[in-house]
Amino acid sequence: MGKQIDLLQGTLDMLILKAVSLGPLHGYGVLLRIQQISGEQLEIQQGSLYPALYRLEHQGLIASEWGESDNKRKAKFYRLTAAGRRQLQSETEKWNRMTSLIASILRTTPEEV
Amino acid sequence: MKFFARLRSWLKWIVKRTPLETAMEAELRFHVESIAEDLVHSGVPPQEAMRRARLQFGGMESHKNAIRASLGLRLRDELSMDLRYSIRMLAKSPSFTAIALLSLALGIGGNTAIFTLINQVMLRNLPVRNPEQLVAFGDSIFGGVAGGIDLGGFGGYFPWDFTRSMQTDPGPFQGIAAYGSFSNKVSIRPVAAGGTTDASSPAILAPANLVSGNYFSVLGAQPLLGRTIQPSDDATPGEGAVTVLSYHLWQQSLSSDPHIVGKSIAINGTPFEVVGVMPQGFLGIKQELEPTELWTPISMQTVVLQQPSMLTAHSGLYFLHLFGRLSAQATSNKAELARSQNWLNQQARNGIREREGGTLSADRQLGISRVNVPLVPAAHGVSLIRSQYGESLKILMIVVGLVLLIACANLANFLLARAATRKREIATRLALGSSRARIVRQSLIETLLLSLTGGALGLGIAFAATRVLISVVSQGNSYIAMDPAPDATVALFTLGLSLLTGILFGLAPALAAARTGAARNLSVGTRTAQSSGGKSARFWPKTLVTAQVMLSLLLLVGSGLFLRTLRNLQNQDYGFERSHLLIAEVNEKLAGYKPSQTAGLHQILVERLSALPGVRSVALSATPPISGGTWSSSVTIPGYTPAPNENRHSVLNRVSGRYFETAGISMVAGRPFNDADSANSQKVAIINQTLASHFFPKGDAVGRSIIIDIDSVKGPWQIVGIARDTKSGNPRDVDRVAMTYIPLAQIDPYLPADSSAAGANGVAANTAVRRENQDCFAYTILLRTAGDPAYTIADLRAAVTSVDPNLPLVRITTIQDQMSNFMTHDELISSLTSLFSLLALLLAAIGLYGVMSYNVVRRTNEIGIRIALGAQTPAVQWMILGESLVLLAVGVGLGLPLTLLTTRYIKDQLFGLSSLDLVTFTVALVVVSMMTLFAAWLPARRATKVDPMVALRCD
Repeated sequence: MGKQIDLLQGTLDMLILKAVSLGPLHGYGVLLRIQQISGEQLEIQQGSLYPALYRLEHQGLIASEWGESDNKRKAKFYRLTAAGRRQLQSETEKWNRMTSLIASILRTTPEEV
Repeated sequence: MKFFARLRSWLKWIVKRTPLETAMEAELRFHVESIAEDLVHSGVPPQEAMRRARLQFGGMESHKNAIRASLGLRLRDELSMDLRYSIRMLAKSPSFTAIALLSLALGIGGNTAIFTLINQVMLRNLPVRNPEQLVAFGDSIFGGVAGGIDLGGFGGYFPWDFTRSMQTDPGPFQGIAAYGSFSNKVSIRPVAAGGTTDASSPAILAPANLVSGNYFSVLGAQPLLGRTIQPSDDATPGEGAVTVLSYHLWQQSLSSDPHIVGKSIAINGTPFEVVGVMPQGFLGIKQELEPTELWTPISMQTVVLQQPSMLTAHSGLYFLHLFGRLSAQATSNKAELARSQNWLNQQARNGIREREGGTLSADRQLGISRVNVPLVPAAHGVSLIRSQYGESLKILMIVVGLVLLIACANLANFLLARAATRKREIATRLALGSSRARIVRQSLIETLLLSLTGGALGLGIAFAATRVLISVVSQGNSYIAMDPAPDATVALFTLGLSLLTGILFGLAPALAAARTGAARNLSVGTRTAQSSGGKSARFWPKTLVTAQVMLSLLLLVGSGLFLRTLRNLQNQDYGFERSHLLIAEVNEKLAGYKPSQTAGLHQILVERLSALPGVRSVALSATPPISGGTWSSSVTIPGYTPAPNENRHSVLNRVSGRYFETAGISMVAGRPFNDADSANSQKVAIINQTLASHFFPKGDAVGRSIIIDIDSVKGPWQIVGIARDTKSGNPRDVDRVAMTYIPLAQIDPYLPADSSAAGANGVAANTAVRRENQDCFAYTILLRTAGDPAYTIADLRAAVTSVDPNLPLVRITTIQDQMSNFMTHDELISSLTSLFSLLALLLAAIGLYGVMSYNVVRRTNEIGIRIALGAQTPAVQWMILGESLVLLAVGVGLGLPLTLLTTRYIKDQLFGLSSLDLVTFTVALVVVSMMTLFAAWLPARRATKVDPMVALRCD
């Protein structure tokens, strides 16, 4: 396990939306999927995952359904709704603009000013 | 969209709470088990895996709480928890809760009751289209027929021909309509199918109002059934026998007959076609205590009023009121409103000039050019009740508001004391992690719970109280235009008031609770904690008690002033004997008597009634010694040259032989009427002192003659006596009124022959037929009894029935009741302010007692030490009493100037005393001081009983 990075404030919702956009997942699955994609570099606080999931569902960005897990047990699966897809798209764009902007600021050398 | 998604989800959580909670639990458990499973896969033993998984995941409850918070459910959960807690706390101290609820219910109930009346009398709009556009022309509150005298202007009364021209040309108004200035009672009988009146069925007496053909359309009122009266109905005098009924009459007397439209009813014996029924809320533009029950066109005046036609050009009879509907612009624009006002004034001035005709003197021209007919807003209708009771109701509203404030101060004090004893509990909660906001919130929920419950109880009390109030105001009428049932406005008022009350008395204690420091209060003893607050903790209770003393003083002075006003009104010299007198209203005209038959009827009536046991003397008259309506005219004295514009007005009464003896009016000079004053003897009159001193300052009245400027009773009458002045109308009037009495027996039942030819009356102006004189009827029977007059009522009824079973006795009252009708609102306001100020005094006493006892309990330690160190009983007693005396002094010191300032505003309501009446102020001060001393004395006594050993060992 490499050095872990703390999650930036407010990005958890976006990551959850991204994770479930790849296919329906249960809560534990969301946790694993994010860690997996990040190459085990990102760890999500256990305490914040479920409130975030419930909040997103409350906002109508994801929907849930009881189904069967890989190990044949009942689990609650979350999937992205149409509203969630739009939200994810706009959040991604915003994020990209923001990062490129900040990156360019950080790249600035004294000569350029 | 997002909002709706959230709302849906939130509602889902509220409704399906239990299954969703179960699902949440299952989901979290699945998560923990999944972690454990993965750990097992990586080689951890199952038992250990489960333990580690739980550890890694953290507390289940805190996860759930976090989820609930993220859904916005926490607030709701906490509120319901606080509510349950508050109910438990209130149930734990039932006596406090009972006192709090009782004082709140009385306070809020009183406010709601007065507001219910204010809402009905003053706030409610007429149930018509755009009521804010309606304006009355001049003062339309009172009603009657005026004539024979120079009015100098139209006032609020208008003659028929003038109203006609205004209706056809409304100028800048959308419309102008007229109506009879009074609703008079008519007899109503159903008409059988064949068109014959069923004379055997009892007639109903109901107030009818004459209205112009455009009355309903200008008013903008729609009928419930059929149609309203139209201009074509009112086109020709004597024609248009149609009527529109009120909902109440249709329901009560015609059993809600759905096919009533098109049928006929007999009004005063003449068949009228019912063309429509008005909806329930409609009572006409003029709202009288006894609401109008039916409307007929002005063209039917002779039938409805049972009087000769007033519908002639230049009749000189002023009996109609006018109102108009302003244009939309004039309603919002001042300049446009002024234009309407100017137009109306111009019309009135032209009307007067035309009436007076010929060339007018410059003086008169100037007088006329100054005539104004003010536009009076009539969105709430024109109401005598409002003008009579409006001021009283406003004062009462302020009084009950003050009582509620005093009750609030009490509750705030109780809660402050309780907050002090609950300091430990609050400190514990703070130490356990509760937030201050949460504690304030819980405290406020507790007080709101109290105030809302109190408000609900108050609504019930208000309903009962309003019924009583209305029955006082109604003066015995069974159907009046007021209703005790609260409507939406009243319910909203009560809810708002309850919330406001809750916040008012709950805020200070809640904030005090929140200021509690955690650590300090846990470490010390309860009692020490209570007394540790020092001066600042004692500031609020004392301030509140001072305010209560202040307000009690104000209320006591107010009620004292009103009580003394009522006594002054009652104890005036009325000029007639006010005991053992029974008054009955009769209506000979409605019973079908012709003026020429009255002489015989009167003779039999007097004979029969005089024979009753216990009756000393009997008299008949047009009006009782004191009455609301008057018969009046200007008079002329031969040989007396009046100054220009001199007031020659006299109130008239026609009376039978023993009137002065029966009413107890003594003679100052000359003789009273007697049986010898008959139709065939010399016509005689009696005048009162005021009239005598005005026209005969030398005292030579007896033997002179007087002419009344009404053709039917013109005279000349020879003056044979001078009677004492009496108060014949409003007891508050201090102006002396001139009066002339003439004998009933000497009034000619026929009008003088020449007068019937004078006007082009609607009735056939045939001089061969002598027209009957309507001024021969007696409307009042007076009985002077030996014992309690109330016992004679049954005998009176039986005797009148034995003379003629159809002769209706409209109302029988003792003279006291008759007079108290004039003082209803004085009685109402004085008894209610006394009641409320006593309630306020009681509440203030409870408050003071509470604060003082609490102080003693709080200072038990200190007092114990003082006694142990040798303080004597009187010294300890003085310590406590002194504190309350300071409160009293401050309360009175602030309250006295406040009262002096406030009573100025009720000056107009007082009679016979100034608003700074010394007696009232002294009594109020003594009462407040006694109350303070009494409330402080008990705790002071208890302080001396403190046992130093017990007190010191306590903590």
